[in-house]
Amino acid sequence: MILSALILVPLLGSLIVGFYPGVMSPALSRSVTFGFSVVSLVLTIATGVMFDLSHIGLQMQEFLPWLPDLGLNYSLAIDGLSFPLVALTNLLTVLLAFNSSVGLKPGEDLKRPRLFYSLLLLVNSGVIGAFLAQNLMLFFLFYEVELIPFYLLIVIWGSEKREYAATKFLIYTALSGVLILAAFLAMNWLTGATSFEYSAINTTDLSRNTQLVLLTLLLVGFGIKTPLVPLHSWLPDAYVESSAPVSIMLGGILSKLGTYGIIRFAVGLFPETWVSVAPLMATIAAITVIYGSFCAIAQHDIKRMVAYSSIGHMGYIILGTAALTPLSMVGVISQMVAHGLILALLFYLIGMIESKVGTRELELLNGLLNPIRGLPMISALLILGAMASAGIPGMVGFIAEFMVFQGSFSAFPVQTLVTIVGTALTAVYFVILLNRTCFGKLDTKSAYYAPVARWEYIPAFILTIVIVFLGIQPSWLVRWSQVTSDAIAFVM
Amino acid sequence: MPNIVEIAVSDDRFSTLVTAVQVAGLVEALQSPGPFTVFAPLNSAFEKLPPGTITSLVQNPPQLGRILKYHVVSGKYTKADLEKLSEVTSLEGTTIRLNFKKNEVKNATAVLTDIEATNGIIHVIDNVILMGP
Amino acid sequence: MTQTLEAPKTKIPPSTHPLAEIIHRLEAGGTMLPDTPENLMQIIGLYKAYAVPMDFYWRDLLYIAEQVFLNPLPWSKYFISDEYLDRENKYSGDNADLRIWRGCGDAHPELREFMAQGELKKNLPKLLHHLWHDRINMEFAEECMRSMLWHRDMYKPWNQFDGFLDTDEYKQNCDRVIKAYFKGNPAMLGLYKLFPDMFYEQCRQMSYYSNLGLFWEVMAPVFFEMSDLYDEGKMTSVPAAMDFLVNGIFAIAGRPIYHHVYIKGECFEIIPKSKGFTWLYEAALPYIEAVFYRTAPFRGTKSYNAQAGQVPDAQPDFHYGVLYADKFPVGTAGIPPTFLAQDMLHFLPEYLVEYYKQHCRGEGDTIVQLAVSFQRSMYCVTSAVIQALRAALLYPLDDEDPEHLMANRQFFEAQMDRFLRPEARIRDIQSQEYR
Repeated sequence: MILSALILVPLLGSLIVGFYPGVMSPALSRSVTFGFSVVSLVLTIATGVMFDLSHIGLQMQEFLPWLPDLGLNYSLAIDGLSFPLVALTNLLTVLLAFNSSVGLKPGEDLKRPRLFYSLLLLVNSGVIGAFLAQNLMLFFLFYEVELIPFYLLIVIWGSEKREYAATKFLIYTALSGVLILAAFLAMNWLTGATSFEYSAINTTDLSRNTQLVLLTLLLVGFGIKTPLVPLHSWLPDAYVESSAPVSIMLGGILSKLGTYGIIRFAVGLFPETWVSVAPLMATIAAITVIYGSFCAIAQHDIKRMVAYSSIGHMGYIILGTAALTPLSMVGVISQMVAHGLILALLFYLIGMIESKVGTRELELLNGLLNPIRGLPMISALLILGAMASAGIPGMVGFIAEFMVFQGSFSAFPVQTLVTIVGTALTAVYFVILLNRTCFGKLDTKSAYYAPVARWEYIPAFILTIVIVFLGIQPSWLVRWSQVTSDAIAFVM
Repeated sequence: MPNIVEIAVSDDRFSTLVTAVQVAGLVEALQSPGPFTVFAPLNSAFEKLPPGTITSLVQNPPQLGRILKYHVVSGKYTKADLEKLSEVTSLEGTTIRLNFKKNEVKNATAVLTDIEATNGIIHVIDNVILMGP
Repeated sequence: MTQTLEAPKTKIPPSTHPLAEIIHRLEAGGTMLPDTPENLMQIIGLYKAYAVPMDFYWRDLLYIAEQVFLNPLPWSKYFISDEYLDRENKYSGDNADLRIWRGCGDAHPELREFMAQGELKKNLPKLLHHLWHDRINMEFAEECMRSMLWHRDMYKPWNQFDGFLDTDEYKQNCDRVIKAYFKGNPAMLGLYKLFPDMFYEQCRQMSYYSNLGLFWEVMAPVFFEMSDLYDEGKMTSVPAAMDFLVNGIFAIAGRPIYHHVYIKGECFEIIPKSKGFTWLYEAALPYIEAVFYRTAPFRGTKSYNAQAGQVPDAQPDFHYGVLYADKFPVGTAGIPPTFLAQDMLHFLPEYLVEYYKQHCRGEGDTIVQLAVSFQRSMYCVTSAVIQALRAALLYPLDDEDPEHLMANRQFFEAQMDRFLRPEARIRDIQSQEYR
């Protein structure tokens, strides 16, 4: 029942915040949202306690026939792939509920707070559902439920070019949904399965070419969401035009659905075909990494820079998945969590800078480390976040990347080496970013920034602590996924 | 004919100057053969200085002496001589800017010129002049 | 305020200088700083906050020049003796030569309290306060002294102190003192035999310690008196504050500048009073030039590339003094103005503490806000120096002769030319928004 609770608690919260008939003040709606998200996080911890680390495969299964004629069942379960992502999602939701005004100008209030909080919880519910679903149609329902809330989140709370960005996002992700739906329906139909249960689908009997077509549909569908180059062009616009909390949700939570889908469906349901397309995928991953990094170097907007860096870092996940060795798969799951944490931290800090300084332009920012008139703590955390992102040992990014590279090198040495060069490029653009924004001399004429309140640091501190802790003690991250990733790798 | 000191002492309008010269111990020097050209400030010139200026100078004779030496030039320069010059070097060591066609010594005006003495010549000025460009 | 300070149009045409507005204000007897109550409060408050540590600076500078002298390991040079704390200021107290401040002649009570307890408000041993940097930062005073030493040849030939340091007479005096000071110390005497010039150079530095100490001995009571007058409601405008300073400059212009060294109680005169060196010519004007205008690039958050021409070739073009300084790096390690700002922070009058709380980040960046106010107050001091020089060397502001007025105009314009470089903060201080 606990898995259902993970989905229903935020959904209930969303309905209460959204549809409570009386007047609800912004502070109250925030408190209610925070309360529900904390309950979700507690439930997540409880799930973690109940989680059987030695169990291979799915745990805590829940099954409820819904529309058996259509093969649609309410079927949930959790394993070492989905649990870390569920935990990440719920952690980020709590932090966003705690401070959703990040990125706003001083004195500016969050617009339409009830709708915002309602959508935040709805998105949380949907993403958790997608991670837990064990039925293709149920997954698809949850997957599509994201679409409209995110469109609204971008288009209502975004910046200047938000309508363009939101429409682009909508078109891309709707297309992604159509392709995935087509693949799911075809899989059910062609294999003659009686239901859409994952366990009911067996593709091994299908012809090679059919498998390839279905796999391609899935890869393009989830590749848009991930995103993979060249399907990425919605991402920079969507990330940059969104407000800071929404970009954290997009980057930290939503993008994981893409890689999750690839591992769960492309690898899980078409293992043999996946192995045959793996070299191509590894090459696309390497290109994604290099492309993302070079684009990041060229940016003048620090948020856009981080957005492109995010594209690059998703490439590691695909590389490790293509290699499909036990080590690389542990690395992949770790990298998904690490990427979510680090990206959330970076977007949070950039949101803070934007709200205090009023700009994200690399040319205008300078000397933020100034201890008295600058944003010294924000800058210090930004340096730490950038180091984590660049894979400096001692932080979670290093652990994940190292396992991916170590695991992938035997399978795809060339692609892995190219990707490692991409890691070095991460250091290049982050040095550019830090050198321009944090170091140098604060401009005397304009530097009258509002101070950062203590509570505004809390989300950043929590993320930093988690990033450093998991970097020093990676077994806490790896233990959840070890058995599962071994199993995934074993399928080959 | 009296010397420079005798002329100054005999004239009430120079009593402050005379006291200052005595305090600074320059009486003997100004009685020596010279010859000297002296720009002698009137009592009213000293009164123009802000309060306290004279007090602290009188407490410190060497410093007072230096200012006084700035009013003395070695050699005998009549008004006609000075009109040809744009500056002269004082005994203090630095130069005095002149515009004697308008009877001006730095920012002071020579109200009475060419008072002859045995060991030099006196020009009476209405401001204490101070070292500087 | 400014519209009443228009140029006297009848006598000479208005200035076409880029800083014409300020020149017209100076010609009307004003200062470079606009005359507003807010400015007055800031500058007077800062004078007071500056005067308390300055009371320590001058005492310790003289203590070092006269007592510590050439000690090769001057560990305790900042631990001033009681004798120097009790020393009567020549310009305040009952026994003053010329009483400028009506208060006491020995160390200021607030200074004594701070020296005993520090910021921590605890009576810890002196050494702990020192190591915790909970003390008066003499490093600032020494930086000013070094800046005067480094920018030698200022105000030649009117400044004769500096030229004297290179004469044989000075070297002979040094020789006598060095031999007496290191009597019975063959190692140092041997070193002196080998490298006499190094010892002379150290003596020159000590002479500048004395020079600056004697200069500040005067300024501290001046600032205290201004603060008291303001508190009593007798100083009501910025020009009035400047006029007080102008009168002060004249009154003490003749104060002797000298350097005496005391070895076992015996007085050695390296620079005797009889050289006739004066406060105005040998200390004040070089000090203003060295500290207000020139100094040297600060080590800190900004790096200077001398090869790329970011530091001027000629020393007179240096522009890192308080009138040009960027007050924002304040707070980072090792920059002398930070030390001064830190010192002043301890002695701010109550009204300024309240004032800073209302602006910018309140208590969080008071140290920067007070440094900016300090910059304003030093623009007022510089105005006083400019007006005093004008009064001493040129003509009254109400002179009838247009030629004289033109000479004044040219003098003011020449002074303002120094503020045309973009680093100068003169345009910033015209507005209260610069904090």
